[in-house]
Parts: sequence; structure tokens; C-alpha cells
Amino acid sequence: MPKLSKGWRRSLGVAVSSVSMLAVTSALAETVTVWCWDPNFNGATMEEAAARFQAANPDFDLEVVIFEREGLEQKLQTQLASGVMDGLPDIVLIEDYSAQKFLLSYPGAFEPLGNHIDMSKFAQYKVDIASVDGTAYSLPFDSGVTGWFYRTDILAEAGYSHEDLVDITWDEVLEMAETVYETTGVQLMSVGVDSATATRPMMQGAGSWYFDADGNPNLVGNPAFAASVETYGELLRSEAIDKSNGWNDYTGAFLSGEVASVVSGVWMTATVKSNQDLAGNWGVAPVPRLDLEGAVNASNTGGSSWYVLSSAPQKDLAIEFLDTIWGGDIDFYQKILVDQGAFGSLLAAREGPAFQASDDFFGGQPVWANFSTWMSEIPGVNYGIFSYEADNAIQASIPDLTDGSKPTEQIVEDINNQVNQLVM
Amino acid sequence: MTDSTSTLAASAARRTGGNMNWLRHVKSAFAYALLALAAFVSIFPFFWMIVGATNTSAQISTGKASFGDQLLINIANFLDQVDVVRITINSLIIAGAGTVATLLVTSLAGYAFEIFRSKFRERIFAAMLLMLSIPFAALMIPLFVMMSRFGLINTYQAVILPTVAWIFMIFYFRQATKAFPTELRDAAKIDGLKEWQIFAYVYFPVMRSTYAAAAIIAFMQHWNNYLWPLIVLQTNDMMTVTLVVATLNSAYTPDFGVIMVSAIFATLPTLIIFFVLQRLFVQGLLGSVK
Repeated sequence: MPKLSKGWRRSLGVAVSSVSMLAVTSALAETVTVWCWDPNFNGATMEEAAARFQAANPDFDLEVVIFEREGLEQKLQTQLASGVMDGLPDIVLIEDYSAQKFLLSYPGAFEPLGNHIDMSKFAQYKVDIASVDGTAYSLPFDSGVTGWFYRTDILAEAGYSHEDLVDITWDEVLEMAETVYETTGVQLMSVGVDSATATRPMMQGAGSWYFDADGNPNLVGNPAFAASVETYGELLRSEAIDKSNGWNDYTGAFLSGEVASVVSGVWMTATVKSNQDLAGNWGVAPVPRLDLEGAVNASNTGGSSWYVLSSAPQKDLAIEFLDTIWGGDIDFYQKILVDQGAFGSLLAAREGPAFQASDDFFGGQPVWANFSTWMSEIPGVNYGIFSYEADNAIQASIPDLTDGSKPTEQIVEDINNQVNQLVM
Repeated sequence: MTDSTSTLAASAARRTGGNMNWLRHVKSAFAYALLALAAFVSIFPFFWMIVGATNTSAQISTGKASFGDQLLINIANFLDQVDVVRITINSLIIAGAGTVATLLVTSLAGYAFEIFRSKFRERIFAAMLLMLSIPFAALMIPLFVMMSRFGLINTYQAVILPTVAWIFMIFYFRQATKAFPTELRDAAKIDGLKEWQIFAYVYFPVMRSTYAAAAIIAFMQHWNNYLWPLIVLQTNDMMTVTLVVATLNSAYTPDFGVIMVSAIFATLPTLIIFFVLQRLFVQGLLGSVK
């Protein structure tokens, strides 16, 4: 027994000293640490940015640490709430829908980048998402500018061309769905029954959101919300629209040709292109709008931005890095668009060759230039702190919406009550 | 009790004759149908995981349920995207050391709770069981602050320590100890063994299969642990298998083929340990001491 404990003590000692040595080496190097969630997307773009910055700053090193997205948020939240800043990264990626939650819940935790970097270089709606009292906190990364990806062959069979899809309302889409279903037997698009995210781009296209500028619920008496709920209900009830359950089911529907189109963020491009058998049979049109005064055929779904932590050991270096590459290297934006399909928010990048190129997968359409145009038209809104909670409240009403017997005003009232319970 | 019931059933069967036979057949057919359904529900995810690993991401998305030819490509992509050696070593250290430490601490506690009598024993035990109902999310922040004060953030110890005194396991060992004959302990005492010697040389060998079952459960718990390692581990060189498998899923364009390979990879160690200890595991759950 005493022999064993001696051995134990020795191995424990080795373990402890090797761990502390690791800690020492990482503290000595001039390393900027980044937390993000997709090694092939945002992680890869950061590696590319680091390689470019290194060319002029040989001492610079960047470590990308990947966590699953929701896990990363939970991790960041736990650590900020505990007040322990050890081991936090210099730069962290946060999804736009969660931006206000972090900025308002942990004042002082994030560096106001607007004081260091000229924010007029970026798409204004992206800057607005991460601003508090007029101060911008993020370096805008990928835009979630929304497009309507459609199968040219199936729609042509039903008698529709690209022009028929441009500048139309959701009511017209529902009529179109009936025709497509009758003539081809294919449903026009898929709508999720597991998560109510279809209403988000509808609302933002109408310049509205679940919450007003002060963050209070903006549901009852908001025509954009009523119209979104109404449209979502019609989509759920239409037999010409597929109902999907889960992400795999949703993407599988359009990849397999079960449905003829998908309305989604520009980041869906890579997934659409993953089935190369359908090359040349896809096109992208602007998103449908709600039939309301002021609604436009441009919106946003998802997207994320980079934030620098105030406690970051390499704060100044991190800001300089972000400003130099992410805030000025137009060639970099061409590279990440081609390699990762990352659609950045730097306005000047739109003039570059990759953004102007046409894509044979989409029948030679200048898809990136189109997305750029739509991006400049997206109305800015305040996502507030509780967007996910509002989604959940809508989700709870899916049975009523599918049933269709309850009047929309009543459903809006129900959702409002539930949001108030969750938020207050 | 059991004997008299079975005699009663047998005489009832004699009296009703063929009728009862027919009923029994229907009953067993029904039971088999139900078991077949349950087996299908348990086995289908495994089947899907293995079939999926041989297909491309697009094929999985479109619901292809037959074997394809992509297995080697998926494995190559998995090895390319993931530092398999690093994460396996990390997970094995955490699960291995965690299992040994958990078994040591919880079996000692379970033994003590059952063997030694004291005024507050039941109250303390009840309080501990009550603590089982506190969700881990509520403990996360204070635990994180604690680990930071100890200077243990981003270390194996930080992952292992909070789960070492696993209350469920203490409960399990206490229940198992109820079957441990006190005569054995008395005899050992008369032979002059000290308490720790009784534990090490009498209790441990007798309860071997209880330990085996506990080892599988504890290993699985440590190997699959996700939330706490996520919170407390910070750098790439400390990542565990479950953390990395989760990141593959959160990609914008997930490669389902690679995800399936990673799922098989993450399941393997638990499966191997289960098959190695299977006989003891079943014995352990039925009760170590006959």
C-alpha cells in the first residue's frame, strides 16, 4: 500500500507540473485566442485572416478554439456570470440574435469596437444589431441576407420563370405553390414544424421585430407580426407546402428534390451546392415580402459577428488584427467567399471580382452581386434579448395555427401572454 | 412464496387444460411482438449510425438506408478534421482516472453508510439523496468560481473532481452492501483485520461484480460527460471526444457521414468495456452476494 501511494504521488506530480508548464507556455507567446463554432466556416475564415496578418507581423499567432454554438454561448455566459476572466479568449463569435442578450446582461464585458474601428465601412443593419445606446460593439462578420433558392427546372415545368418570382408577396407564393403542386406534384417549399423560425425573415423584411427599440414586446397591434403569424399558419395548412421536422429533414427535402425551393440565409448556399447532381438547375430570387406598407423583398436570417472581450490579455493586438484584415482587406473577403462561402459585411468588398462573378451552379446568375444588393436593402431592427423565447411562444401555437379555427388575433394574444410570462 | 404460487398456477393449468395453452401462446406471441418492437427501437439508431457512416452526407440527408461505399472517405475526412489521438488520450485520462476515483470514494462511502451506525446516518443520507434533485446547471457557476480559486481551470482535475463523490453511486453501493453478510466482517474482525483491511481484502473481492457494474456506469458517465468539460476546458489540447463530436454537428453544412463515423468512434470504448465486463455487469445488477 505505501508503495502504491508513492507511485500515485509521483504521477500526480508529473501531471500537475506538465499542466502548469502548458499554462506558462501559452501565456508567454503573443497569441490571440478566438472562440467560434464551425471549423469549416467561421474558424477557417479566421485562420485565413491570421495568415494574412502574419505576413506583416511575423510574431503574431492565432489559436482558434471550436465549441458547438449553443455550448459556446452557455460557456461564455457561465464564465461572465461567475466573474472569473481566466482563460476567456480575446475574440469571440456571437450569433446576431444573441448579441443584445450578452451586451445588456454583461455591461463592460465587451470592448466597444466602434471607438477603435470606423463602423461606416460595414452594412448598417449589422452594426445596429450589436449597438447599445449608439455605441457599436462588434466587428460585423457574416451576413444572413436572405434569398429564395429555387429549382429552375421544376418551376419551368409549372410555367414559372425567374421574373415571376421577383418582387412578389407571400400571398402570391401560396397561390404559386398550389399551381406547382397541381402541375408537377412537387411541393414548393418546406416549413419547419419543430421550430418557428419562418416568421423571423418575414418580420424583418417589413422592418419590424418581436420587440420595439426599447426591448418591450411588440406583438399585439403590430400588423407585421399579425401578418407573419397569419402567413405562417397558411403555410402550415397548405397541402402544397411540405412540413419538415428537424434540420436534417428540412435540408433533405430540397436536396432530394422533394420540394422545389427554400427561403434561407446566404449561408445556405454551400448546403444547396452540396448536391452537385443538380448543378445548373438552381436559381436564387429575392425573398417574398409581406403584403404591407413599407415591406421590402430583402431580409435577414441568422448571421454572426466578432466581439473583443474587455478583459482580453491581447486586446489591443486583437483590435488591430480585426481592423487591418476584417476592416480593410478586400482581397481577403474575395478569398473567404470563394473558399468558405462566407458572405462578409464589409461594403467595399462588394466591388471585388469574386462578388461580381457568376455561378454556373445557379445557371450563370451573378448570385453574390444579387445578395449584395439585397443586403443593402435589409431594414435594421433591434433583436432585443428574448428572440428565442418569442420563437418558443410561436412554436407553442403551432397546433392552433395548423388547426386554423382560432382567429389570428386570438393566437397573437396567446403568444403575447406567453412572451410576457417568459420575459417579465 | 414463489413455490406456492407456481404450484397454484400449475394446478390451474391442469384444470383448464388446452384452453390455457392457447391463451399462453397468444400471450407469448404478444410479448414477443412487443419485445421485437422494443429491440427494433433500440437497435435502429445503431443500424442507422453504421449505414450512415458508409454513405455521403447528401445520401444520408435524402434518407438512403442501404450500405454505400463512402466509409473510407468518411473515416479519412474524420481523421483529417479531428485530432483523434489527442482527444482520445484526454477522454481516456478523464474517464479512466474519473472511474477509479469515483469507485474508490463512492464504495467507501456506501460501505460506511451501511456498516457504521450513527445517530445522524439516515438524515445525512436523506439530505444527500435530496441533493440529487438539484440540476447541475444551478451548480455550474459556483463550481466554476471554486475551480478558478483552486487554479484548476482547464485541467483534468477540474473535470474529474466534481463527479468523484457521485451521490447516485454512493446510493448504489449502499444498496449493494446491504447484501454483504455481516458474518464475514465479524469473522474478519476476530481474525484481527483492521477496518481498511476488511474493506480491501474481504469486501472488495466479494463485491467484485458490483464494482464491475459500477465501473461501466461510471466510465460511461465520465466518457459521455459534456456540459461540465465544456464549461471548464478552454484550449484545443484539452478537448474531449464528446466536445469535438458536438462541434461537428453545429457546422452550417454538417457532413453527416463524418458525424456518423465520429458517433461510432465515441460509442466504441463504452461498448468494448461493456462486452468485456458484461457477465459481471449482469451479476452486479442482480446483486453481488448470493
